[in-house]
Amino acid sequence: MPSITAVNVTHLHLLLNHVPTVGSVVALGLLLLALVRRDEPLKRVGLEVLFVIAVVTLPAYMTGVAAHQKLRDQAEISDNAMRVHQDAALAGFTVTEFAGFVAWIALWQSRRRGREARGLVPAVTLLTVVALVLMARAANLGGEIRHPEIRSDLSAAAASADDPERFLTTAIAGYMVNSRWAWPAAETVHFLGLCLSFGVLLTVNLRILGVMRQVAFADVHRLLPWGMLGFGANLITGMLFFIGQPSQYVDSAPFYWKVVFLMIAGANFLYLTVFRKAWAADGDVGFDSSLADKAMAVSSILAWLAVLYGGRMLPFIGHAF
Amino acid sequence: MGMLAWLESNPLAIWVHESPSVWAQPTVLTLHTMGMAVLVGASWVLDLRLLGISRNVPLSSFRWVFRAVTVGLIVNLATGVLLFAQRATTWGTSIPFLIKMCLVIAGAATLVPIRSHVFRSDAEQREVGGSTRLLAIASILAWSGAVTAGRLLAYLVP
Repeated sequence: MPSITAVNVTHLHLLLNHVPTVGSVVALGLLLLALVRRDEPLKRVGLEVLFVIAVVTLPAYMTGVAAHQKLRDQAEISDNAMRVHQDAALAGFTVTEFAGFVAWIALWQSRRRGREARGLVPAVTLLTVVALVLMARAANLGGEIRHPEIRSDLSAAAASADDPERFLTTAIAGYMVNSRWAWPAAETVHFLGLCLSFGVLLTVNLRILGVMRQVAFADVHRLLPWGMLGFGANLITGMLFFIGQPSQYVDSAPFYWKVVFLMIAGANFLYLTVFRKAWAADGDVGFDSSLADKAMAVSSILAWLAVLYGGRMLPFIGHAF
Repeated sequence: MGMLAWLESNPLAIWVHESPSVWAQPTVLTLHTMGMAVLVGASWVLDLRLLGISRNVPLSSFRWVFRAVTVGLIVNLATGVLLFAQRATTWGTSIPFLIKMCLVIAGAATLVPIRSHVFRSDAEQREVGGSTRLLAIASILAWSGAVTAGRLLAYLVP
């Protein structure tokens, strides 16, 4: 069986890189339309689309870093042009993730209170505009890597200045590798975040599976933001590891699988958030979940265990470290 | 000291330490991490409830936590003994490891009074008394410290 690392990451990046830009345009359109029409269901769709974009932007960014690792030694491609693009992409990635996070909070609040969360949706809309501008800039700089014919004088100058120290990603990598405490501290936070998000996910999924049947779903769902807090800590520290030592990850099979299962777990998490039955105002105490819901709960627990397995096995399988 | 050396020269300990098999050190360590996620994760959810998060959920509904915690404790005791045995002479005398053990014992100790509180007949009440809240804070801190010390062992005692 061919290893998952045999996938052409450069090609995958060329496919996935459209999601953040095109997706943000779609999400922005949906949110604006919903705000004008005062259409609650449409607003939720816009927020859900934003969450999905935030999830898919993770592999879009990571495949880009992997492509850089694989192409940096090719003479006909400018390493500097790729680094300029990577820095721009990191800015876009950060704001996109933040927008997805706030969109999730808005979804969670609107479900919990049964009405829109005032102020959050305009904030999400504004964040999406910023994300779109930053991602469009990153996309532009990315396109120029292979298309000299579209390069402007300005971007050509930016790409040719040969000073690796000015790149943010290089600075982060230097700090993560050279600091004595940065990596161990980030590992510690990563493990604490893992415990918090896993504990919350376990509780909510066990409720769907029939444990704590006498408890209303909505009451258990109060815990979800705490799971999100743990996940947020792990996303930040995880990205610090990835940017710090990309060569450790871009050829590592357990890392590829970890990201695949993260996508599955992300879909599960969205389902848990918007899960209609979970938010019934009353009458859901003692409610038995459908078979599909239970399958979703089991796959959620298994997906997180697989993410954990992939992460812990990083130093042992594939010999990347 | 003889005991630690004996532990480390045990064939099972040597296998965990030296075998290139993915079932040796890698799997034992991964199971230890999964046990941690269940044990600490479930404990924290209950601690959060005791501190007022998701206070609409009756305390008696959290009885499953103690089953999850028991599973996590058993898995981590078994894998922990194996992980310790392979480095017994180094870890057995290192301060970070002894601190971790104290914190694990402290975390497990907080579970006992918390359990008796949750299993009390009048535990349906929403408000939790001050002493139980203190226990919950102690539990969160003890487990955080144990996870931190465990993770840092890899860097402090290489």
